[in-house]
This record gives sequence, C-alpha cells and structure tokens, in this order.
Amino acid sequence: MSNYYDDLLQLCGWEIEEIENERPRIEKTFQRLELGPEDMETADAWVRQNHDVTLMGVRKLLGAWLKELIDLILAKDEGKKIVYYSFPTVVRPGMLIAASAEGTYVGGPDVILCHTMGQIFNKLTPILEAGEENGLPPGHALCSIWQVKVGALAKGIIPPPDMAIASSYFCDMGSKADDLLAEIYGTPIEYVDGTMDSAWGEYPDYLPERAEFLGAQFNQLFDKVKEVMGFEVDFKAWDKMMPTIRQYFGDLYRIFELMQADPVPVSSVEVELASILAVACTGRGIAEGAKAIKILIPEIEKRVEENMGVAEKGAPRVMIVLPSFSDPSIVRMIENTGLAIPICALDVRVQPPPPKVQHNTVGERIADGEIRGGVGLFHSSFGTCHRMAANLEQVKGIDGFIYNYQFNCRPVAQVSHSLKRWVEEKTGVPCLSLENDIGDSRSYSAAAMRTRVETFAEMLKTRKVAN
Amino acid sequence: MKGNRLIVAGVDIGAATTKAVILNNANKVLSFSIIPTGHNVVQAGEEVLSIALDKAAFSREEIRYIVSTGYGRRAVAFAHKAVTEIICHAAGVSSNMAQARTIIDIGGQDSKVIGLDDGGNVINFVMNDKCAAGTGRFLEVMAGVLDLEINDIGSISLMSENPCTISSTCTIFAESELVSLRAEGRTREDLLRGIHNAMSHRVAIMGKSVGYREEVVFTGGVAMNMGIKKALEDEIGLPIQVPEEPQIMGALGAAILAKANLEKEFRE
Repeated sequence: MSNYYDDLLQLCGWEIEEIENERPRIEKTFQRLELGPEDMETADAWVRQNHDVTLMGVRKLLGAWLKELIDLILAKDEGKKIVYYSFPTVVRPGMLIAASAEGTYVGGPDVILCHTMGQIFNKLTPILEAGEENGLPPGHALCSIWQVKVGALAKGIIPPPDMAIASSYFCDMGSKADDLLAEIYGTPIEYVDGTMDSAWGEYPDYLPERAEFLGAQFNQLFDKVKEVMGFEVDFKAWDKMMPTIRQYFGDLYRIFELMQADPVPVSSVEVELASILAVACTGRGIAEGAKAIKILIPEIEKRVEENMGVAEKGAPRVMIVLPSFSDPSIVRMIENTGLAIPICALDVRVQPPPPKVQHNTVGERIADGEIRGGVGLFHSSFGTCHRMAANLEQVKGIDGFIYNYQFNCRPVAQVSHSLKRWVEEKTGVPCLSLENDIGDSRSYSAAAMRTRVETFAEMLKTRKVAN
Repeated sequence: MKGNRLIVAGVDIGAATTKAVILNNANKVLSFSIIPTGHNVVQAGEEVLSIALDKAAFSREEIRYIVSTGYGRRAVAFAHKAVTEIICHAAGVSSNMAQARTIIDIGGQDSKVIGLDDGGNVINFVMNDKCAAGTGRFLEVMAGVLDLEINDIGSISLMSENPCTISSTCTIFAESELVSLRAEGRTREDLLRGIHNAMSHRVAIMGKSVGYREEVVFTGGVAMNMGIKKALEDEIGLPIQVPEEPQIMGALGAAILAKANLEKEFRE
C-alpha cells in the first residue's frame, strides 16, 4: 500500500521493498519531524531543482542521508544508547567509538539535519528558530550548526544523547553550545580540551606538546566512554574499521579524479553529499553511501566519456571551500554563472608534514594527525592560508578560488581577508572572499551574493581570454 | 542623429533609482534618464527606457541591443543580456576616464570599491555585506532625522568647524547617536560632518583590501554629495574625480557592453 511519502523516497533512491520494510519507522520519523504530504511536494521540487536526479547514484546518496536521519530520530525509541560528536572536531574519535560499540548510535546530528531537513525538505528554518528561542538567539553571530542541534533537541526531534563530545581544538562555539545540552537535558558532556594558540608562520611546524596534550584528552575521552556508556573503546576496532573507510574514500577519490575532466561532469553539490556523509555518520548512512558511490562512479565515467558537464567546456575552474550543508542552491548559483567547480578545498589530499615524534597511544596519534593535516590545522590562521595555497598548487588548472567562509565561525572567518591577499600573492590565483552560512540561508542576501559571484566569473573569463 | 542606426541601450535598475542610457555606435550618449525605482522594477525598467528613447527621438524597435544591470537586472525581460553593476561601472568609467584605476561606487543600497587594470578590466572588488551603513540609505536616514533634503546635506557638512564623532557603524544605532548629539546642542553642520566622516571611514576601510590607486573615481548617486567626496579624500589621502553624471555610469557601462556585444554578433 503506497503512502504520501513513497514518491519522494523513490526519488531519493529507495527501493519499494525498502519502503515497505520500513514503513512504521518512516512514519514515526516523519511524524516527529512534522513532515506531511505538502512537505513531500516541496521536497520533490527542491530536490529536482538542485540535484541531478537523472543519476541514480545521486538519488541513492540522498536516500542514504534519509536512512541515517531515520536511525538518528528513532535511536532512543529503539533502545539504543546515543553519542553525539561535534562537527568538524572529534570526528575520528567518534568513528572509533562507533566501531567499538554494537547497539550505540554515534553521529553528528546537526549535519544530518542540515542535509535532510535543509537539502531535501527545505524546512530547516523552524529548527533554527527553535535554537534561537532556546539559548542561541539571533543577531549574535552564533553558528547555525549549533542552533540546529539545540533547536532539534528543544523541539524533541532528536533524542537527548547519553553522551556528547565537545572540543574547542577547532570550534570554540561548539563546546559553548554543548553547555546548553548539559543545562537543559543534564547530558554528560565530555570536553576534549584543545588549544587554538598558534603563531603566524608556525605551520607546518608545531609544538609536539600540543599533540601530546590533545592526545591525552582523547585518551581521557575513551576512558570516559567506558564510565558513561559502559563499553570499552576497542583500539583494534580502528584496524577493523579501516578497510571500510579506505574503500569509501578510495571510491570518493575516484569521483574527485573524474571531476577534474573538462567539462566538469556533475555539480559539486552531488560530490558534497558523498564527502560529508563520511564524517557526519558512522552507521547505516555511511554503508548506504558507499553503495551509492559505487553506482555513481560509472555514471560519471559515462558523462566524462560523452563530454557531458554542468559547465561549458573551457569554463573557468574555481575551487570553493565547501558547499552549503543545507542549501544546495548556492553552489548551483555559482555554477549557473558559468563557473566550473572541479573540487572543494577540503577534499584536496595534501600530504601533511611528517609527525615530529612517534606517539604510543591512539589518542596521541589521532591528535597528531589532526594538527598536522586535519581540521586541527585550521585553528591556525597561517595553517589555513598555507593549506589553501597548497591545495591550489596541487590541483592543476584552477583559475579562481572562492573562499566561501562561514561568517560566524572564527577560525575561518577571521582570516578571510588576509587569506585572500596571501593566497593571491603566493599562487597568483584570484580569490573571492564570500561570506556565507552553511547552515542558514536566512543569513545572506542571494542577490548580493550573486552580484559578487557573477562579477568574479566575468573577471575570470576576461583573464582566461587574455591569457 | 537618425543617420546612425546602430543604437544600443543600457538600463541600470538600482535600489533607489533606475537609469537608462541610449548610445550610438560612436559611443556618443544620445540621451539618458533617471527615475525612482519604486516598488515595481519591471515597470521602472520599461519607463526609464521609454523616457530616454523619447529624449533621443528613437523608438524601442530601433534599439539593436540592450544590456541590463543593477539589482533588478534580471527583471528586465526586454534586455538581451544582464551584467553586474560592478562590470558595468568599470566599463562606464573607463570609457570616460581612461586613467581610472579605482572606482568607489556608493549607491542607495550598497557600496563597492573596484580595482581596474590598464585596460579598464575589473581585477579586484569588494562590496559591503548586508549592512546599510556606508550606503546612500544611511545618508537618507540621517537627513530625515535632521529634517533636511538629501541634496543639501553635503554642502552643509562642509561648513562644519567642529565635527561630531559618530562612533556607531549601524544605521539605526547611528541615528540614536545623532539624536543624542542633537539634544546636546551640536550644530547641524557638525552633526552632518560627523555623519559624512563616519560613512567615509567605513567605505575607506572596506576598500583597503582592493587598494586605492590613482586615478580614483567616485560614482553612484552619493558621488554628487561633495561632503562625502571631501571626507573620502581625507580618508584615502588621494584626490577623487567625479564624472559629470556619476549616477549613470552603470547604465553607460551597460550601453557600452551592449555595443560591444552587438559588434561581436556582427563579427560572428
């Protein structure tokens, strides 16, 4: 028996049997999210407008996000213990914790809600507003990602976790927002205390003590997991998990390779669906995402063979930092100005500097990796500039760089103007500093953003012709 | 005039005013018109072009190519192409002032600083984000508080002997500050000079990431305000040129690009 959501789920790559098998879970989830028949119509139009649904791999990726959403919403009802980790910090420890625990839901709920309630249903605003009403008010330049998390908890959409992991080694606002979880829900928060102190010009050098300190914090987190959650973090789980992760990222890098074709074969919004899935989810989403990528690769290969693309052949090629999590229309707008986006800066694999010391513990090894080449380097303004320039030098044929930064995220916003100058001087690639909000499309004027991007596109086209 | 039939037009639909320029193939401005944008941008576009065409004694059918620009550029259904106002201002200014290397454009809703290369191409630019401070709207609000006409405030500000300091960078907060200073008995000349200095300071800082290179040209409706021109010159330490008709530089640039596109079509 079909229902009002069947068409949308099929549009998002679900098989009819999957829908039948999961009807009670789907209905319970949609009820909690207050999603009715009208929302399905809105979602259908929004998805078709922003995603290439002629590609089954894209549809399956959207479906993977929806499956992860259902698992998240129903985790408590289904008797699971829950751990939330912060994006973009603590992702690797989060994955390790997930690999160690059967029957525990581990994930980044804010990012999942942005990709589903934003990208698919275009209905994130009520959740953002609930965040604003419950401790993170508007007009204070507070991060929308955290507003989503707090708002979703306040609305009873996502279950309160048994444990939340916060850290300021990249994002100071995350740990502050998680304070509210403790205040409102009594959630045990484990703080992974980090340091943002880093001198201009220091990177790629760093004090090994910083890695040791952060590593000790991670190790303490693993002890806390045992105390609060009742299971031990199994460090061998890392080895068990790695083949799956390597396979996922190996396939993802194949997509990145294909995106280097001219014309660029698919929109950057489709690639983002796959790349962020791997850091926001640890369960079914990532497993389904892996299957979706396997379907997507031959579809993109076919496009490359047939010279099909989202921008004209020879169009100026720009690197952006990251597409919006909640509003794919922004990247679509950039592409519609005639710019091709072959890769996002965070997807470029730059060889990090070697570790300064050999560490003995898992926590220290993770910490060292974060500081040398993970998100931990972005707390360093110089590290961010260094990394962006390295990205532009590594990826050939980039004509322009759009530094689309989260305006309320200090590690990336504060450096935005000096980064533009630094990158232009080091690489000769023109840079557009573009204020953005990856979780809240109410925070910017699309018209003003379009004027900037169109002008930048025109600049790059003129420059390309002249060269 | 009618002997030369390669006639093109540029239409600039801005936040406050809508402008049109009719150009012949010798790059001669045959006519221009400026009207308030009002609530209907489609209608404003139609009307402004109609007025300019009447002035030049041409009909719509005789226009071979139209480029639209400004915030409402996409609403101009009759235009052959829509181009951003930054590109159009560069084209308009370069056609008049070939030595221009920096443009400061302050319109009703936004402000921009644009860097040009020797060929008049845009090589860098910056726009204000969201906030109305640093725009024509800021001056309109302040003129309203002091019950003055917008066209008069620039010259009055130049008579100040002891400018006030307006510290707020937000239009609404600056308005409150102005009301407080007025209550303290400060003269309107000093109040206005303080406002002009505050706004110029904000725009000058914004443009530092582009850099100020001579010649610096000031465009947009606010460029007719000599108080802002003087305050900007003091801020950036360079002389500033103002075109004869600073408001129509965007529409002029659009018309020049229309002509270039038409010529390209002929070549192809």
